[in-house]
Amino acid sequence: MQADDVFRHQLLGVIPRLRRYARSLVFDNPAADDLVQTTLERALAHWHQFDQRRDLLVWVLSIAHNAHLDQRRRDARLSVVDPERASADQDARGGAPGVDVGLRIDLVHALARLSPEQREPLLLVSVEQLTYAECAEVLHIPVGTVMSRVSRARASLRQFLDGSDRSAVGGSRGLRRVI
Amino acid sequence: MTTERPDDAQLSAWLDGEVEGSDCARIQAWLQEHPEDAARVRLWAADRDALRARFSSVLDEPMPESLTQTAWRRGVRANRGHWWQGVAAVALLGVGVAIGALWRGGVAREPAVAATQGWTQRAAVAHAVYAPEERHPVEVSVREGDSARQREQEQHLSRWLTRRLAVPVKLFDLRNEGFELVGGRLLPDANGPSAQLMYQDAMGQRVTVYLRKAAQEASAAFRYDRKGDLGMFYWVDGPCGYALVGPQPRERLLALAEAIAKQDPDPAKR
Repeated sequence: MQADDVFRHQLLGVIPRLRRYARSLVFDNPAADDLVQTTLERALAHWHQFDQRRDLLVWVLSIAHNAHLDQRRRDARLSVVDPERASADQDARGGAPGVDVGLRIDLVHALARLSPEQREPLLLVSVEQLTYAECAEVLHIPVGTVMSRVSRARASLRQFLDGSDRSAVGGSRGLRRVI
Repeated sequence: MTTERPDDAQLSAWLDGEVEGSDCARIQAWLQEHPEDAARVRLWAADRDALRARFSSVLDEPMPESLTQTAWRRGVRANRGHWWQGVAAVALLGVGVAIGALWRGGVAREPAVAATQGWTQRAAVAHAVYAPEERHPVEVSVREGDSARQREQEQHLSRWLTRRLAVPVKLFDLRNEGFELVGGRLLPDANGPSAQLMYQDAMGQRVTVYLRKAAQEASAAFRYDRKGDLGMFYWVDGPCGYALVGPQPRERLLALAEAIAKQDPDPAKR
């Protein structure tokens, strides 16, 4: 069954946020867009399972989460984040104007060091600004688990950024505090 | 004021606006009186803002053409797709090797059927892959919703498969044989799309009917093959090749195959 045009329009509408989530999850831009591509294809193949009373973004993010899991299992390259390359990409594109380069590098380094189990809920809640209930739906975990993982992710991220774990974070680059 | 110390998870949830009512007031009061905890929460908030700032520029980037095209592409699953490659291909590979090996022995001995070997094999693989599926046995279900919705889906399925296969696809009525149509799906065959219709009896046993546009092969009578748990009747009738696959005994499958052949949609035959 082919997806109808209304659904396709809705899907187009969530692509920017889907890309942002993929980028925050995968860092490497082409790999992130691959994830988006896979997610869109899955969404279109299963569009008739989408309940129109629900939030399409949450549904699509959930598909992206599953696709990302599949990719991590299938392809070790995607599970190994290369922060050097990620920051090089970011620098090549210029990044957001007015933002300190060191800040971005450190943040990505620190984020990359979080386990995927912590990184995903932190990103969904912080960047995508989902509620805990929505986040639980995307990740197929209980709300209480979202709460504890977000909290632990925050603590870990802070620890990495504070440099109490300096040796592994910055390498030769040297660290700058974010705040 | 003495209150119970909120743990980090509660403070973090408070920051995310996930704490309500008296708990929320309690945490606010706690933070007012405990500047060290308040400072920690402020750092979390700053990290949150930094993360947003770091990734928000993605929203303003121009959308890659390839993604827009994906959203508008028709027949995503049939034409290409990580979806198929990722999920079905792995299953197909494993099951296909096993079943293909099983099937080859029986069919290849008869030269007249050699040309059909490939597609009957694909029919068997498709059955093995999709018949055990609990949640997604078919792409288009005709069993959801009320009876009006079901009829609508049946018509849609028939029209869709007919259009894609370029041969008339009729949804065979096997209720006299105790089988209800579950739905159908489009599959890739060697030279184009093929279709799989799935039927289920009251015991939950399934049979599938694989249909494809016949290549050059002439009409051929029923042939039967059985390997392991699965039996198959296959035949070619006019423009269409059929393969009925299921775990049922031969007589049962034969009755079903005859019921299908009788309902042949080719108008020249009626």
